[in-house]
Amino acid sequence: MENLAENKIVLDLLPQKFGKQGQIWVVCLLAICAVGFYAYCRQLYYGLEVTALRDYASWGIYISNFVFFVAISLVGSLITAVLRLTDVHWSTPLTRIAEIIAVSAISFAGLIIIVDMGRPDRFYNLFTHGRLQSPIIWDVIVITTYLFISLLLLYFPLLPDLKIMIAFKDKNGKWLQKLYEFLGSFWKNKPEQFKITDKAINILSITIIPVAFAIHTVTSWLFATTYRPGWDSTNFGAYFISGAFLVGAGGVLIAMYVFRTHYKLEKYITDDHFDKMGKVVVLLALVYLYFNINEFLVPAFKMKKSEEEHLMGLFTGEFSPIFWFAISASMLIPILILVFKKGRKPKWSFFAGILVVVGSWFKRFLIVTPTLLHPFLPMHDVPKNYTTYIPTWEEWAIAGGSLAGALLVITFFARIFPIIPIHETIIETESHEKA
Amino acid sequence: MKTNENSRREFLATTLFAGAALAGCGGNPFTPDEVADVKPSGEMVKLLSVDGEIIEVDKAFLKPVPEMPSVPNSEARVGIPGKKFAMVIDLSRCKSVKKCQSACNHMHHIHPGQNWIKVYPMQESEKTAPYWQPTTCMHCDEPPCVKVCPVDATFKRKDGIVLIDSDRCVGCRFCMAACPYSSRVFNWEEPQIAKEIADKPYSCETSIPQKKGTVGKCDFCPDMVRQGGLPHCVSACPNGVFFFGDILEDSVTNGAETFRFSDLIKDKSGYRLMEDLGTKPSVYYLPPVNRNFPFENNEGEKK
Amino acid sequence: MKKHKIIQILLLIIALSPSILMAQAVEKNSLSLNLKYFNDNNITHHLLVQAKSKIDGKFQTIPNITIQFYIGTEADKRNLLGKRVTNDRGEAIIEIPPTAKDAWLKSPNQNFLVVSTATKQFEAGQGDLAITKAKLKIDTAEGKMITAKMVALVDTIWKPIAAVDVIVGVKRLGGILNANETQTFPTDSATGGVIAEFKRDSIPGDQNGNITIIATVADNDKYGNLSSEMQVPWGKKSLYMTNFDHRTLFARRGHSPIWLELLAYTIVIAVWSIIIFLLFQIKKIKKLGFE
Repeated sequence: MENLAENKIVLDLLPQKFGKQGQIWVVCLLAICAVGFYAYCRQLYYGLEVTALRDYASWGIYISNFVFFVAISLVGSLITAVLRLTDVHWSTPLTRIAEIIAVSAISFAGLIIIVDMGRPDRFYNLFTHGRLQSPIIWDVIVITTYLFISLLLLYFPLLPDLKIMIAFKDKNGKWLQKLYEFLGSFWKNKPEQFKITDKAINILSITIIPVAFAIHTVTSWLFATTYRPGWDSTNFGAYFISGAFLVGAGGVLIAMYVFRTHYKLEKYITDDHFDKMGKVVVLLALVYLYFNINEFLVPAFKMKKSEEEHLMGLFTGEFSPIFWFAISASMLIPILILVFKKGRKPKWSFFAGILVVVGSWFKRFLIVTPTLLHPFLPMHDVPKNYTTYIPTWEEWAIAGGSLAGALLVITFFARIFPIIPIHETIIETESHEKA
Repeated sequence: MKTNENSRREFLATTLFAGAALAGCGGNPFTPDEVADVKPSGEMVKLLSVDGEIIEVDKAFLKPVPEMPSVPNSEARVGIPGKKFAMVIDLSRCKSVKKCQSACNHMHHIHPGQNWIKVYPMQESEKTAPYWQPTTCMHCDEPPCVKVCPVDATFKRKDGIVLIDSDRCVGCRFCMAACPYSSRVFNWEEPQIAKEIADKPYSCETSIPQKKGTVGKCDFCPDMVRQGGLPHCVSACPNGVFFFGDILEDSVTNGAETFRFSDLIKDKSGYRLMEDLGTKPSVYYLPPVNRNFPFENNEGEKK
Repeated sequence: MKKHKIIQILLLIIALSPSILMAQAVEKNSLSLNLKYFNDNNITHHLLVQAKSKIDGKFQTIPNITIQFYIGTEADKRNLLGKRVTNDRGEAIIEIPPTAKDAWLKSPNQNFLVVSTATKQFEAGQGDLAITKAKLKIDTAEGKMITAKMVALVDTIWKPIAAVDVIVGVKRLGGILNANETQTFPTDSATGGVIAEFKRDSIPGDQNGNITIIATVADNDKYGNLSSEMQVPWGKKSLYMTNFDHRTLFARRGHSPIWLELLAYTIVIAVWSIIIFLLFQIKKIKKLGFE
């Protein structure tokens, strides 16, 4: 009986070939990536001239996209590390989803920062001439570290699953079989091996938390170490991290729903998972709301002259539509949906997750651009188009391409590896049944 | 003879103007100051003296200094020894003629539309007086832009000047975000400059030629200073708004007038911009009191 | 020699012909050459020319103009001092070369001539200058007084010159800081001298407190520009301080504050040793698998 269940779990969770839907999805993503790549070639040839970035708005959606990627990547540490260390077991099926989101997002964060550089051909200068005083160097160090830790955290729990997959030799293609064998042919389910991986996963879970905090805190320092209104805040690190956990959790809600419906995983990603994850999102949204109130109410109470223009631009001025959209989409509406039990059903959760992620993307835009358009000295002695920032199609294409690229990495990962850890699920079911 | 005997001996020892000394010319043209600054090039030129004698002079000591090739990057990163440059901008004299701007743009081949020097129409509040405020790079003593540069592309020199190495800059624009004075501009596209200038090797001291994908800004024209001249904005201003000098010499000049820096700042209550940020700028402003011109803003009409 | 000349003329014709053709098509701007004479410390002397042109109603300085400098009033090859090209500021400088010795010693009055040939954009330009040889000599007197004496060559005798405005002060970067509140001192009719009290107490000098005092005559119609310098120990000893080599957040690579380096390296080493440890664990698992 037990054996049968185990076999069923294995068969249910093995990676599947793309269906028609999957193929369309992949082709669409590839097409978006191709357009983005073409736009980037144009940018390489003509320079950043093709963007709407100018001397005042010198950072734009590339940087907000970068912040978004770094933010969403934090979810890996939340789901795998924080929940694991606090002995929460319901999240086990979600760990790999969270980890692959983290890996692909952090990789694209690195790529998009190269896209933003005026001289990507001199990228190596960061290593040959790096100055330890610069927060950018801190970011480079910390992002590389986080990428490695996330990869390890993805790899260790994958080992037992690799053994399971290697067994399905005829089902795997030649290439996949080779890949699986390369990655995990040495895994023999020995107790000594389990002992090592368990220890390693524990060490990683502890290590990844401070590193995850560091990536987003350092990213917030790229802004907070300047004097500009809207950035000059001691609250920024915590503000960014709380926002990051929120958007990451929102991303997991979306991924859960998509994988569940597409791969028919209703037994593994249950309504209960949505219910619990929904509660987590509510909590995170409330925390983020708290930091937002801190971030805007305190300076708005004082209304320092340098801050006034910036804040009024957000509250009632040119950026107010985006501002109120971002606040309600990323926090208020998701809270209102998910706070009700009915709202935590898969479909509503999925909708709330989309709201959170989209709202959060625009929130990042609002963190970067309005501040730059409100410098200390008024904008003057520049051509007219320097005083506004409306991204060009190249910028949208590149930003969109990077998002599509990140999704593509996740998609291919789910094609190659079981998106829900097979071995851990079996163990969980067994211990469940025993209990 | 009041001349100090020691310095006379020094003078003879250096064999500067050796021929002239033999010709028995009086006076002491030699300043140890400059010996510290200028190293003899070893290249002697034969010249005719005022007295009609033929003399040999080291090329490096000619006055005015003949145009020399730009200093190497390693030297440009350290700066001119024994100097600390400062600028004083007298707001009471500025009527936004913008000759400073056009001279600067012209000499540095700045991209059309962009400016290293900006002349702001300022008015703190409704009832306070409007005035023109030209801004250059402030060459801060604790420059926020240098703090954040990841690759040492912008750097602070011994002489107080903050420069950019466009051969090093990766174009991350963090410095632009960090600068509270908005004094940095970016080369968004290939600079529109003549080929013979674009082909020159980049020099941090001339900031020429600007390069695509890198940052540019006011450089205090150290190339001019090395030749004994003044920054282009200073000499271009018809109203003598800009004063430039070595703070260690305690003097600033606009070419026509020279003031003792400390007296000028004391007498006219000089100040610096955004002192509260702790950037410690090297540019001082004299308040727009007892103005030479009324404030007339015709900028709107021109466009 | 003759062959040489013919070749030169031929070359000149070839060089000029396109510009002659161009001249008919494009209206050229006239070029004005402003010539100045400088006597530097009574030792060397030089000529400075500035090329300017009125383009679109505005006077602009013109770079890249080749200027021929002549001593005397004729643009004759024997009088040629040299050729120079104007720089970015439209200026060209020439030191008086030894070849001009005979011409220079001939008379107390001297003429200089500058000529530029026509280019694609500009017509030929010309400028001249007549000066009388003069000397300005700086000295000091009891009680921190600066004196200067102006003499000019009349026939063969150096005679004092009256009523020439002399600026007396301390030599500073890019300018002269007046010795006291008076801007200029006219020379005395009897002695040709001026006397100025030095009131710039505690002005910074070099490490030994030396400053350079200077007397100049600027743009005099008859004598040109003259200057004379000397060094006096009247300044305050300057102490040059720099934080260039200090460890600060705005210092160069390798000069970051100790606390930052300690912090950063400790964190990096700690985290990366964990990563490396875990990589070894993978190796260990591998070994176990193949046992």
